[in-house]
Amino acid sequence: MKWRLLALLALWLPEPALDPFRGGQSPSWAHPLGTDLLGRDGLLRLAVGALRSTGFASACALLALALGFLLASGAPALRHLASALRRIPPLLLLLPLAAAVGPFGWVGLGVLLSLFLGLHLTPPLAIHVDGLRISPAWKSERLMGSSLSSRARRWAPWAWERSVLLLPTAWLGALWAEATLRALGLGPGPGTDTLGRLLQEELPRLSTDSTPLGWAALGTVLVLAWTCTPETRP
Amino acid sequence: MALKRRLPALALWSGAALLVAFRPPPSLHTPQPPSFPAAALLTSALVAALLILGVASLAALGGPNLARRRWLAILETPPELFWGGCLIALWPGTWGPPGRLALGLAFLLAMGPAEVRWLCSALPAESPFPTAWGAAAIQRSRRLALRHLLGRWIAVRFPLWITGTLILESLLGVPGLGLDWSARFTRHDRVGLWVWIAAFAALHLLAPDAEESPTSSGGNA
Repeated sequence: MKWRLLALLALWLPEPALDPFRGGQSPSWAHPLGTDLLGRDGLLRLAVGALRSTGFASACALLALALGFLLASGAPALRHLASALRRIPPLLLLLPLAAAVGPFGWVGLGVLLSLFLGLHLTPPLAIHVDGLRISPAWKSERLMGSSLSSRARRWAPWAWERSVLLLPTAWLGALWAEATLRALGLGPGPGTDTLGRLLQEELPRLSTDSTPLGWAALGTVLVLAWTCTPETRP
Repeated sequence: MALKRRLPALALWSGAALLVAFRPPPSLHTPQPPSFPAAALLTSALVAALLILGVASLAALGGPNLARRRWLAILETPPELFWGGCLIALWPGTWGPPGRLALGLAFLLAMGPAEVRWLCSALPAESPFPTAWGAAAIQRSRRLALRHLLGRWIAVRFPLWITGTLILESLLGVPGLGLDWSARFTRHDRVGLWVWIAAFAALHLLAPDAEESPTSSGGNA
């Protein structure tokens, strides 16, 4: 759990340095995954890209949990509206939207993804919120007339404890959405390396002139998936 | 009460339909609407039938305990992108570019495990009854439960199947239903979008109790 939150720092990682005179090198001890045509070390690109993707997914997941809590504590009409919106999976709307209006920026993609993921997190969060609403503790808060800020301060740890269990699901959703959008060329511009960007470069080459970087990127997808696989499903 | 609950959803779908109907064209030159991929319809129906039959059979054989298997969770977690990538990597070059067969295969691999878990999680618990009554009672109970679940399962999961096929079609470059939805959205084809919105609204009405259904893994959404 903590490593996902630590990955937020990866959003500020610098790009690997260019060295065009050492471009296109085969794998060696110095460069286990070789170098690309611009001379960037393949392993470094993969590490920075995967870390940046996980950081972006963590940021989206945290925002999605906050939005999910807001929706779960909203009026019943708002929840029914969220239920109708949930019928459309995030990527089913995001992929054509990105194709129609052009690739999203990082902030735009993050907010849209969080909103869609927040919609899907509402039902499990609503169970906790509904339970709290009918509890004597909450009723006494209202009777005492405590302010919204003091209530938020007191109940924030409780909300975090309940929502943290949903963090891996939201995180995985954001991670795959970003990787899919970028791998299909519909994500934020080509300037920043992420896992999706590497897959966009390497996937089409895998059947003809595959590189170790392509296979390693595919392997990284599998490893990240395994980090979210529980011992047994509930 | 049911109508009152449905009002926001009906307002949403009607709003989307009206938005599609009355929005101005993107430019003076409106691109031609894409032709419906009729050739892909038969293959898609065949693959969907295979998925439904295979998943329902596995659920009937494995029962609710199958949903808790670790190997199923491991198979379920990687995204469509991973299965598509594996197929591209392993597809023999001498067979030409991946076609509908490859798309169907990748689709079954990508969607199958998640569907098995969804359906098995939705099956009622079997302990202490009907386990105490013997194997025949268990089979009968599973059959009855599956018969009741089938329509709701398809209605709830169909949009996810369209998403999966959209990603795989884009990756493999094979036109099909997913790309048809995307192309009609991109090219502002009002009639085509109307049909799609009506289909999604119908699915929403067909699956009224989806809130109580097992939550899908966010991963493959």
